[in-house]
Amino acid sequence: MRLLHNYHYAAAMLLFCIGLYTVIARRNIIKKLIGLNIMETSVFFFYISLGYLDGGIAPIRTGGADPARMVNPIPQALILTGIVVAVSVTALALSLVILLYRQYGTLDVDRLYRDEDGGTHGGPSGEDAP
Amino acid sequence: MKNLLALLFIIALAALLLYVAANMPPMGDPDNPTATHVIPRYLEGAEKETHTENVITGIILNYRGYDTMGEVTVIFSALAAVLAVLGRERRGRIHAYVDRSTVPSSVIVRTMVRFLVPLIVLFSVYTILHGEISPGGGFQGGAIIGGSMIVFTTIFGLYESSRRIPQKVRFPLEGSAVVTFFLVGVLGMVGGGNFLTYAWPRVAAGLQPALVTWLTVLVEIGIGLGGAMVLTSILFCMIREEEEIAVVA
Repeated sequence: MRLLHNYHYAAAMLLFCIGLYTVIARRNIIKKLIGLNIMETSVFFFYISLGYLDGGIAPIRTGGADPARMVNPIPQALILTGIVVAVSVTALALSLVILLYRQYGTLDVDRLYRDEDGGTHGGPSGEDAP
Repeated sequence: MKNLLALLFIIALAALLLYVAANMPPMGDPDNPTATHVIPRYLEGAEKETHTENVITGIILNYRGYDTMGEVTVIFSALAAVLAVLGRERRGRIHAYVDRSTVPSSVIVRTMVRFLVPLIVLFSVYTILHGEISPGGGFQGGAIIGGSMIVFTTIFGLYESSRRIPQKVRFPLEGSAVVTFFLVGVLGMVGGGNFLTYAWPRVAAGLQPALVTWLTVLVEIGIGLGGAMVLTSILFCMIREEEEIAVVA
């Protein structure tokens, strides 16, 4: 069966679904970010698996390695870019989360919405919050 | 109720994606579309054209040099955005609040971290400098340095670790990845080629391979230093905020 042979792809897609469910269902923003990172990881995993070759070797030509047996180098180069962008996005998102927590004193999305609707907000610096 | 709806949606999506996975070409087959079109050309020609034995480094720094230059700009702008949101750490206030980590650690942990961190940094130097002949490169080495700083900061606290890499060292080095890339690109124009050409037409043909190799290593060093300093700075400004929160609350 093709699905059992492509188990890398299947695992990456299940991981993507787990991450997406975390983003949708969890109310804590940090957990949403963890879900986002799981989704990113699943995409990287899927992409690297696309370049896999049965019995392949690393695409490094030291010692006269045979180019015909090397795995696909393009996904690896692309995913290096992707990882750096993912780290940058995560860093920026986390710093915004820190700012939110300082302003509202909570990471719960529902409570943040309630605060936005004109409720009273407590928290560490609630008095100077907008 | 909302979670049940989300779960149903996710199950439908998973079924669709698994159906796609079941109909994709078999994994690892040499006749896959992903392994046939341009890939043999890269694998055959990379060593001659980029003079790097690691094909991936050749692709990142040479074939796709513009892309990687944009990438180092992305990580630099991420640092700029984090600094705009949180502000740079200030040592006087850190010293006033906490000068030790909040994580209690035993003598064994402290001794081992003190022993291991220099070795981790040494390994990252190896990773950066050997990026063109073995697995590794600037981004990986920079991430290893950043990881060693995370370990050190977790155990010894921000005050100690920001004394090891003071702000006046980090500040000029944060942009070194972008600056090195741009300078090498402009030097390529001076050498008679286009922007970001490593093989310079005005240089004697016998010197070309060595020139390409050394320029690649130079760019790797720039990326490694810049990436490490960016990660360390992001870590430091986040830690300052956390400790400020902990103290106020």
